Amino acid sequence: MLGKLALAGIKNRRRDYLVLLAGLTMSAAIFYMFANLATNKAFVKANGVVGQSMLIFGFGAVLLILITIVYIMYANSFLLSMRQHDYGLFMMLGAKKRRIGQLVFLETLILGAVATAIGIVLGLLMSRFLVGFLLNALGLHLAHLESFYLPAIIATAVLYVGLFILASLFNLVKLTRTTVLKLLHTDEQANQPQVKPIRQMIAGIVGIVLLAAGYWALANIKAFQIAAIPFAIVTITLGTYLLFRATLLTIIRWLRQTKWAKKHLNGFLMGQLNFRVYNYTRMLTIVSLLFAMDLGAITVGSGYHRQLPMMADSLGSYTVAIHDKTAKEQQLISKLDVAHQATYTQKRQGKTVFYNAAEFKQQPYEFNEGEMTPKYEKKTAAQMKSTDLNSLDFLNLAVLGQNNLYAPKMLSATKFARQSGKTVPVTTIRVKNIEKDRTTLKKLNQLELARFPHASELTVGNYQSYELMLAFFGGLEFMGYFLGIAFLAMLASCLMFKILSGAPGDKRRYRMLYKVGVRHNLMRNGIAKEIGILFMIPGIMGVIDVLFGLQMFKPLMPKPMSPYLGIGSTFAIFIGLYAIYYLITLALYWQIVLPQAPAQAQAEHK
Amino acid sequence: MTSSNAVVDVHGLEKTYGKVNERQYQALKGLNFQVASGEFVGIMGASGSGKTTLLNMLSTLDVPTKGDVIVNGHDVTKMRGNQLADFRAQEVGFIFQDFNLLESLTAEENIGLPLALKGTSSKIMDQAIHEVAETLSIADLLQKYPSELSGGQKQRVAAARAIVHHPSILMGDEPTGALDSTSARELLDLLTTINQEQHMSVLLVTHDPFSASFCQRILFIKDGLIGSEIRRGDQDRSAFYQQILNELGTFNE
Repeated sequence: MLGKLALAGIKNRRRDYLVLLAGLTMSAAIFYMFANLATNKAFVKANGVVGQSMLIFGFGAVLLILITIVYIMYANSFLLSMRQHDYGLFMMLGAKKRRIGQLVFLETLILGAVATAIGIVLGLLMSRFLVGFLLNALGLHLAHLESFYLPAIIATAVLYVGLFILASLFNLVKLTRTTVLKLLHTDEQANQPQVKPIRQMIAGIVGIVLLAAGYWALANIKAFQIAAIPFAIVTITLGTYLLFRATLLTIIRWLRQTKWAKKHLNGFLMGQLNFRVYNYTRMLTIVSLLFAMDLGAITVGSGYHRQLPMMADSLGSYTVAIHDKTAKEQQLISKLDVAHQATYTQKRQGKTVFYNAAEFKQQPYEFNEGEMTPKYEKKTAAQMKSTDLNSLDFLNLAVLGQNNLYAPKMLSATKFARQSGKTVPVTTIRVKNIEKDRTTLKKLNQLELARFPHASELTVGNYQSYELMLAFFGGLEFMGYFLGIAFLAMLASCLMFKILSGAPGDKRRYRMLYKVGVRHNLMRNGIAKEIGILFMIPGIMGVIDVLFGLQMFKPLMPKPMSPYLGIGSTFAIFIGLYAIYYLITLALYWQIVLPQAPAQAQAEHK
Repeated sequence: MTSSNAVVDVHGLEKTYGKVNERQYQALKGLNFQVASGEFVGIMGASGSGKTTLLNMLSTLDVPTKGDVIVNGHDVTKMRGNQLADFRAQEVGFIFQDFNLLESLTAEENIGLPLALKGTSSKIMDQAIHEVAETLSIADLLQKYPSELSGGQKQRVAAARAIVHHPSILMGDEPTGALDSTSARELLDLLTTINQEQHMSVLLVTHDPFSASFCQRILFIKDGLIGSEIRRGDQDRSAFYQQILNELGTFNE
């Protein structure tokens, strides 16, 4: 009987349960996708420097497990907030605590098991399509990528079912320890934070000092090495927490006393925020940190992606060198956006390649003299020193074979004419943007390699360097994006569930406002503002964290590259996704909280 | 009594619950009555007689199936959306059995809410709040949150919120239902004072004869219709109380 009642209770709130189930399913799916990549050793080994990428994947796994725990905690509290009134009622009607305990335990576990099962299936599908899509978008190719991988399925199932057993036990203890009256009236309790100005000021100052210390440690990562990271995590967490607690409440208290608070629903909004922020401090801190890590991961990932062409350009003076170009190659070359192009005649004899000095007088060779930034210097044969002739860039124009290059030699025009040997015209081409011309360059490179094969460890031209680096950094970059998107989905859902678990309590408040005569759209706007502010607080803090935290990557990205380059678009995309979560939360909140207008009730009668 | 000075004019009010092709229940079956401006009227009836339904119609929380409800010259049955909200905010003051105070706001902020909704300037608002707080002797409670107040204090704050914007009528839905007898008496005295000194019309829905004895006129509802009506006239309150008890005795048979 009780089981039936419980089921009926779930049916009545099926929309809320669907949200919960969808959220948990997404989380499990994301975890599966990650586990699929991380536990697949063949895949990890094939895609990157082995030791390092294992470390990165391991780090990612720890972060993902942490956020999963937090996520399930909040999802569970949402579940509990929906159910405690019902269970309180059952107990009041005389149901035994033991029986209620069983029900709670079972309900949580079944929900978790269903979510895990659907999640793994969804994860399989997503691995198949989404990961492929992401790789395509990034222009990466990763070997040994499979969507079905048994160890990953086991890992996901074990973690999720384990966490749900813990959550069930937690609910069991919580419900059976709470008195019936409290369960029935939890919605009506609103703690008003006691404000102690001096203590708050001290907390605020300490918070700022801790934050500054954390940022400083990150900026000086060269001096502190790896120790900077745990230090920064601790200080930034504590600092954020103290700062939120002190400043937010002070700001709200100050706003409440202004004239602004006495207009429309502003006072109510501030009152709501006052006790929400107080109760949410821990949660907002966690979300702001996750937001920061997440945005950081995506920013660094996209930063590498954007800067690879730049890194490649700094390595040599030409993008590709085409020997004895065919008509087809010429056609491809005409499609390129060329910055510089020159053709020289080679005569290859024995182990020496001869060049015509006159040709270099007419079109001097451009050497890349820059260290990190390309700095081109035109040199005629007379200006070239032996170091120039023996620069890898120049040597690579004539490849003899495995680890073997022709030795270049300059001859005067007359001597060159008399020199015997195989004549090969070589065209050096530097494009303006490797990334843009990548497909054309790829075809050119293939045609060239088919005719002039050279050892695989040898790269000729910046295009080949670019491809090599792309493969090298690919895993890292992919992780950045993948973790970024996964984290965002989870952290925003955490916030969503936390806010939604406050909705049943707010329902009563908005009902009161409705009775007192508050316009419908005023309530809508009020809710939009309230939830918007709750989303904005960790968002803003997270952005600040990232802006400082990116300092950490400065040593890894020498000038002119910079972790800050082009972060605008990354931020915009990220904030856009975050905003979508805000809108979903808002729509759900409106659904739960806003009172129905009587006109609608009347329509039902007609 | 003519309808021209009536603050509430109800004519042929019907309310049917349930959809047409379902089992229907008629809660109100064609009610007619008026409340004159400045009058203190009680509505009594047993549980399920339609008291609360009637009050919901009067306060626009629910829509009648048939009939007219005119409050202070506004036909509330013709109103829609924002008009309804504005009507509740400006024309009606409410006191509920369960106080309906917002626990996230202080007493002062709760009282100021109707004025804030109107967009009153903060100077006038402060003045109005302190005036009404003096009248209801809650001036020292203004900075407290509802959770720090007793039931009687909460209801006085709720009463302050109901009259701070000078509505044309004050409606009470069992306002003493959750109060101890001393607090209940204090509140009823307060409503009487508000009615007499501020000439505010009061409509009290109750099933408690003691509360009803503070009214000038009582309408008894039975099965969705006005069954009978008694007036206090010149009698003192205890005599009127006795009359109510007698009326209830015969009325419920």
